[in-house]
Amino acid sequence: MMEPQKFAVFLFSSVRQAMQADNILSDKGIAYQLIPIPLHISKDCGVCIRVGIDQQDQVAAILQGSVTWERIVPL
Amino acid sequence: MSITVDARGLACPEPVILAKKGIEENEEVTVFVDNDTAVENIRRLAAKAACTFSVLERAAGTWELTLKRTGAAAVQLPAGANAGDDELCSIAVSGQEPGPLVVILSDNRMGRGDDALGDILIRSFIHTLLQLKPLPATIICYNAGVKLTARDSATRGDLQQLEKDGADILVCGTCVNYFGLGDQIAVGHISNMYDIAETMAGAARLVRP
Repeated sequence: MMEPQKFAVFLFSSVRQAMQADNILSDKGIAYQLIPIPLHISKDCGVCIRVGIDQQDQVAAILQGSVTWERIVPL
Repeated sequence: MSITVDARGLACPEPVILAKKGIEENEEVTVFVDNDTAVENIRRLAAKAACTFSVLERAAGTWELTLKRTGAAAVQLPAGANAGDDELCSIAVSGQEPGPLVVILSDNRMGRGDDALGDILIRSFIHTLLQLKPLPATIICYNAGVKLTARDSATRGDLQQLEKDGADILVCGTCVNYFGLGDQIAVGHISNMYDIAETMAGAARLVRP
C-alpha cells in the first residue's frame, strides 16, 4: 500500500497574506491546497496553504520576499 | 422540590420548553414524552444545564425522563425568549433526522461582499465537507456552482474525494451548457431539473453555503 502523503501548512498573519500566497502559487502551477486552518493548530477561523511536505522548501523559496508567513507546521 | 410534566402528544420544541421551565423552578423534574426527538432534546438540555439525566422506557413509545440539579445553585440557562430552546431543538432534531443531507452549491463563491474572499471561503467549505459525519448524500451544483466541478477548478480534488467517499454529485446540465463547460466537467454527473427538484424535495436537510 502507498504511504499516505505527508503535508505541511503555511500559516499567515492575515487572510490577505494567505490570498496573496494563493495567487502566487496558482500562477506558478504549484500543487497546493488552500484549506481552513486545522482545529488542532488554531481554533481561529482562518485559512492556510497546504503543500506536500517535500515541497515545503520550494514553496518557501517562491513566497520568500513576496509574502510573509508566520510559521510552517507539519501535519 | 420535584414535579412531573406530561409532554406526550406535544411537538418540538414544547417538551424541551416544559422541561427547561421545570428544572429552572424545581430541584428535580420528571417528564413523560412519546418520541425520540424529545428524548434527545431534553438530554441535551440536561447536559447544558449540568443536570443528571436518566431515561426509562415505560411502555412502547413512552419515556420517563428525570432531570436533577447537581448543585444547590439554581440552573442557569440562556435567558430571553426561546433562543436557547430553538437551539436545543434544532440541533437535536438535525442529528435525529434519518433523511439525507443535501448540499447546494449555487455559486462558485461563498457569501456576498467580496469575490476574492468568497472564492477562498467556498474552497474552505468544500474541503471541510470531507470531515462531516455523515457525509452529504448529495451535492447539487447549479448556476455558477457548476464551475466548481470543472477540470481547472481548485475545488475539483475535494469534490472528487467526496464523490469517491460516496456523495452523489449532480451537476446542472443547463448551467454547464450556458457557461460552455461541456467538455470540462471533471466530477459528478450531468443532471436535470427533475432530478434536482426531486432530490431537494426529498432532503431532510438542505445546506446552502
